[in-house]
Amino acid sequence: MFLRLAADGLSMPVGADLVLHEEPDPESVRNSGPALGRVIERTARRWNTPLAIPLMDLRLEKADLLARIGVSVQDADAFHFTAPLDAATLATLCDGKAGSSCPGGTARDEALQYIASIPDLFPVGMAIGPFSLVTRLMADPIAAAAMAGRGQAPEDSDEVRLLFQCLQAAEAAIHRSVRSQIAHGARAIMICEPAANTSFLSPRQLKAGSSIFERLVMEPNLRLKAVLDSSACDLIFHDCGELIDPMVEAFAHRLHPVILSLGGSRKLWEDARLVPGDVVLYGNLPTKSFYSDGAMPIEEVIRRTRELLTNMKACGHPHILGSECDVLSVPDARETILKKVDAMMSVTAPSIPH
Amino acid sequence: MALNQELYDAILNGDAKKARAATEAAIAAGVLPMALIQESMVPAMDEVGRLFESEEYFVPELLLAGRAMKVALELLKPLLAASGTKMAVRVVIGTVKGDLHDIGKNIVASMLEGSGFEVIDLGTDVSPENFVTAVVERKPHVICMSALLTVTMPAMKLTIDALQTAGLRTQVKVLIGGAPVTHQYAKEIGADGYSENANGAVGLVKNLLAAEVA
Repeated sequence: MFLRLAADGLSMPVGADLVLHEEPDPESVRNSGPALGRVIERTARRWNTPLAIPLMDLRLEKADLLARIGVSVQDADAFHFTAPLDAATLATLCDGKAGSSCPGGTARDEALQYIASIPDLFPVGMAIGPFSLVTRLMADPIAAAAMAGRGQAPEDSDEVRLLFQCLQAAEAAIHRSVRSQIAHGARAIMICEPAANTSFLSPRQLKAGSSIFERLVMEPNLRLKAVLDSSACDLIFHDCGELIDPMVEAFAHRLHPVILSLGGSRKLWEDARLVPGDVVLYGNLPTKSFYSDGAMPIEEVIRRTRELLTNMKACGHPHILGSECDVLSVPDARETILKKVDAMMSVTAPSIPH
Repeated sequence: MALNQELYDAILNGDAKKARAATEAAIAAGVLPMALIQESMVPAMDEVGRLFESEEYFVPELLLAGRAMKVALELLKPLLAASGTKMAVRVVIGTVKGDLHDIGKNIVASMLEGSGFEVIDLGTDVSPENFVTAVVERKPHVICMSALLTVTMPAMKLTIDALQTAGLRTQVKVLIGGAPVTHQYAKEIGADGYSENANGAVGLVKNLLAAEVA
């Protein structure tokens, strides 16, 4: 299906936040399943796509996880573990039993259920990736990952010990989230790992043979892929961070998602050589800078879109034109952003002369 | 050659334990704190910055070096205070109102401290009013503001406007940074500078203050 959509020239942003902010009270809608479902439906209709991609709210799994140890939704965003967890706390966090969801999680699931009832829409779920969730659970994940990358074991360092405990807890939380979304009708899950990048994981360490990318990113995501596979649910894998080629290759070949979504720093036509022919590349206009006409004038948006479409057609790799990430509605810049998203979507792929 | 090779190497290699040991040994041997900072620690962080610019070091190496430097500095601060020695440049840093991201801000703070500046870290979710209060009370030479989200960036302009309203804008240089921030945006909102990374921020602070003195 995804290859067919790419071949048919589908183009679409991850735009639910833009549509959400057309509501008079976006925050109420965010926590109301049926209303959120209608926003996601309108988003899909707006850009004429069967893929109903939800809000990219990557706070939900953290909120649900921390609720298990009594941290409120309001406090969850700012909460970080600062010392290794005791056995009882870790067991509570890792308990496989479904707990009650925060309002945002419940709304997400109910919205999926609504979308799943619409025959011509394909319900897509969303979850933060395990490593990215770890980085939100710790105050200083980079140092911990760097120390682990140098070979420090959990027994040698409280920070490294906490790192791997958080990974255990993160995986458990995401598995619960994904299972719930599948139970509510998700046929694909978009796993977002924006932190799996060269700011958190040193290319110097990786080049020297460190296994840290494998242990913190690939292994947990492979386990997650197995969960999706067991439910015949497709994986859409998103990482908009700065990457090195081996990371792209690993995501594409070993996770083998149906769609690989990458950030604006990558040239997708060059990445095509790293990616199997049956993995659709999605993206990747730099929509994070659309708020600024100085940094990204509309003429440049059009030029880059044409360049991307021309080069993807020339290399022949399946591609769906889209945004490098969730396109956020920014106060005072909303119309500027929308204008550029619409301009991007209106550019059509040029024909390549035979 | 740096005054204290062990300390220099410990910082360069991001080894906090060795940095502590080398600093303790230097203090015990009677080495002056400011000499340690200027002849070993700052050169080490300068080299870390050079390796980062040449893409041999990356953010994790920057962070570990900053932590090693901070461990050493914490041992020296009481001695500096006791002797009445102050760092020449004071910087206030914070992530703007509504934004809880702090990793980038923390790296910049580390690099600035490693360069011998006094850094007052206001943390995250810092309102324009709190930045203004910090300028009034701490009299920094520079304010550094960080934002990681396009939706929180507008708070940077609100802070600059608040400084203007309080009659403080000309007393302090304002630098901004963060993933969605651009040089163009810095110009649009009246900031004095923008850096796309921590190492660049250090250079920018030095250049801005040198331009003022010149």
